[in-house]
Amino acid sequence: MRPGPLLRGPLAAAALALGLALAGCQPSKPPGTLIVATKSRIVSLDPAKASRIGEQQLLSALGDPLYAISAEGQIEPRLAAALPQLSPDGLRARIPLRRSVRFHDGTPFNAAALEFSLRRFLAIGTLSYQLSDRVSSLRALDSHTLELTLKRPFSPLPRLLSSIVLTPVSPTAYRAHRDKPLADRFVGTGPYRLAFFGGQQLRLAPFRDYWGPRPANNGLMLISYSNSTALFGALRGGEVDVLLSNSLELDHQRALHRLAEAGRLKEAVGPPLEIGFLSLLTSEPPLNDPRLRQALAHSLDRRLIQERVSLGLRPPLRSLVPPVLPGADPTAWAAYDPARARTLLRAAGWCQGRVLTLPLTFRSDIPSDRLFALTWQAQLRRDLSDCLQLQPEGMESTTAYSQLDKGAFTMILLDWLGDYPDAENYLTPMLGCGKADGSRCLEGGSVLSGSFWTAPGIDSELLRSSELAGEPRLALLRRVQRRAGDGVPYLPLWVVTPVAWAQPRLRAPRFDGSGRVVLSALQAGGAQP
Amino acid sequence: MSRRRALLGYVGARLALVPVMLWLIATLVFLLLRVAPGDPIDALLGSRAPEAAREALRQKLGLDQSLLAQYGGFLSQLLRANLGTSLSSEEPVTRIIRESLPASLELGAVALLLAAILGLAVGFSGIARAEGRVDLAGRLFGIGTYALPPFWAAMVMQLVFAVALGWLPVGGRFPPTLQPPSGSGFYLLDSLRHGNGAQLLATLRHLLLPATTLGVLLSGIFTNALRLNLRRALASDYVEAARGRGLSERRVVLRHALPNALLPVLTIAGITVASLIGGALLIEVTFSWPGIAFRLQEAIAQRDYPVVQGIVVVVAALVVLISVAVDVLVALLDPRIRF
Repeated sequence: MRPGPLLRGPLAAAALALGLALAGCQPSKPPGTLIVATKSRIVSLDPAKASRIGEQQLLSALGDPLYAISAEGQIEPRLAAALPQLSPDGLRARIPLRRSVRFHDGTPFNAAALEFSLRRFLAIGTLSYQLSDRVSSLRALDSHTLELTLKRPFSPLPRLLSSIVLTPVSPTAYRAHRDKPLADRFVGTGPYRLAFFGGQQLRLAPFRDYWGPRPANNGLMLISYSNSTALFGALRGGEVDVLLSNSLELDHQRALHRLAEAGRLKEAVGPPLEIGFLSLLTSEPPLNDPRLRQALAHSLDRRLIQERVSLGLRPPLRSLVPPVLPGADPTAWAAYDPARARTLLRAAGWCQGRVLTLPLTFRSDIPSDRLFALTWQAQLRRDLSDCLQLQPEGMESTTAYSQLDKGAFTMILLDWLGDYPDAENYLTPMLGCGKADGSRCLEGGSVLSGSFWTAPGIDSELLRSSELAGEPRLALLRRVQRRAGDGVPYLPLWVVTPVAWAQPRLRAPRFDGSGRVVLSALQAGGAQP
Repeated sequence: MSRRRALLGYVGARLALVPVMLWLIATLVFLLLRVAPGDPIDALLGSRAPEAAREALRQKLGLDQSLLAQYGGFLSQLLRANLGTSLSSEEPVTRIIRESLPASLELGAVALLLAAILGLAVGFSGIARAEGRVDLAGRLFGIGTYALPPFWAAMVMQLVFAVALGWLPVGGRFPPTLQPPSGSGFYLLDSLRHGNGAQLLATLRHLLLPATTLGVLLSGIFTNALRLNLRRALASDYVEAARGRGLSERRVVLRHALPNALLPVLTIAGITVASLIGGALLIEVTFSWPGIAFRLQEAIAQRDYPVVQGIVVVVAALVVLISVAVDVLVALLDPRIRF
């Protein structure tokens, strides 16, 4: 019943040979090309449909925005030749465009092409409201000038136009897709053209006629892995050259950070623009009592959370605006002070034999959320066990999002990454309120974020901030934050720093001011520039 | 009625039930998706998009219509073999299935083959001496592989063979440095058809870890089924009669007991194909295998109704057809079965 001795030897030898062949034959890549791994699977290459971070990262290599934000946070014209020229009433913006720019199909980029692209985005764009909320009409004034008519003065317009989803596409290539998406092709103006699109794998080749500096590499191969262990293993095993963190698990991030400290990897960090926060339901008991919300603000030991939950990788946050952005007030929310929290809880009628139990909803599909809930629960047990206790409850994120505006959660852990890096793009989505009944918001960002909080004049202050520029605008934005910090409709927790790693033979990756890795700057060898 | 005619009648009756079963499954999936909490608009726009934008998208996607109207539209499309378009990418669902199904079938077929070879070999190995050391080891293997959590086993395989030893890739179906073979979507067949050795080796390298993991996990079912059925067959009267006629033990086992013991195993193989879809999900996610279970998981997270419905209907059709084929095969092979 078993193979005879004559067969056993050749069978074993054949199996060994096959095993060695399979293990040893790793295909080589063309010199100068780099393999970049991410967690995001690219579903669509159409900028009108690019709502995920991974897709936007890819588009930043294939396309160009009108304006870019430098690593230092400065606005730089890219396809625009200069900053917008505003009419005296601030309602018309003329954008001069760069000349001698070509699309990947060889056709010229001009105002008509930009008008086509923006109209297409307005018609079918998933995030079209970003533009349609601000712009009432647009037209090409001449071959290289586009005019936007705004619904009201909007000073952060260049920052809005730095959004990569507004990157122009070739009207010739998209003629048949004027009002429908084109998922598997992209014809734009960026430093790379698309050489191959296979869903899980993409190949980008340098665009010979690019108007700007040529990429520092001979092309990129992008591959997506669906889980953190695979991404971590691919970098450690040398299968990939560069790893973009996206949603890499925190223990993997820490392990890679340690390898970078030991000189076995290159690490780069970008501007921390994603915030984690708790949304508090201010329209219903018990958190309609501002003293309780203030007590919660004082009860949170962010340093402990940083150490235990994010393994030291997510800096604590006491503002709704990431501190790297102009107009942020890093101390707008109260600091950790358990004694003050106890006083406030007592004043609200708790602690004297009465323990307030608060449900805390966390997204069960995000590991750090659960860890936060359990850590804060334990911290409150340590500090305020006679006054306050938490009742963590997990819920799948898509289910939770659909119930936010229904006031379903007393406290829920959420995150937010602005569509473009500007303080207004953090405050309006959280505090905006178009219709209110006293301090209860009935319509607007505050409802959509699940807090239902507003205060007299705060919405008009937000609107006015968009009409101001310079220091007066920043001062007004800081004032709005301090008012929110007093009202405590949210508890800011941390900011998430984007990280990328590269093999030691490569230069460390570089981030732009929008938090994306500059893929065209990835380069083999040499010291840091 | 001749046996041939009876068999045809039996097959016809089974096939006639297929559309009814598919309609029931499609209706159930349609209803369950709508009853489940979560909104595709949230998945597409995020929860903070303005109400006007949400409403516009809802209208565009037809989600503002009544449940009955949506159901009518879904069924009418289904009857025309149109599975609709994805809410998130606006790709036709048939294209998504065409791209991802071959990956799953290839992985499943290789895994099933490995599972059958390994499982039957282990199940058969202990037959010489019941309750002996080999038999005990086979039992432990059967129970152990059956009880092993798939995600844990997959992660251990990945960490050992890809990360620590670096022998095989951590995931994916094909290396980014090579052009995938064009054609049917079955990379093994396509690379063989093109006679491209580099593509074939690359395909095998990527297939080896997930297929072996899934194969080992499934092999326990074959081991236990063969072991029990072979033991029962060896204790039966006809085997005793064969022994009594002076046939060698080898001939008794291979010619008399084994064919009878394999019949229930064939049925189990059919059921295993159905369970492959569930088991493959964790394997596909762990090894970033771009198969249909992986796409189904993504679509459920995004509440992409047409993709979920399309995948479930197609997979259900496959499972039903395979189970009919297995039933017919068993009926053909086993003369005791009456129709």
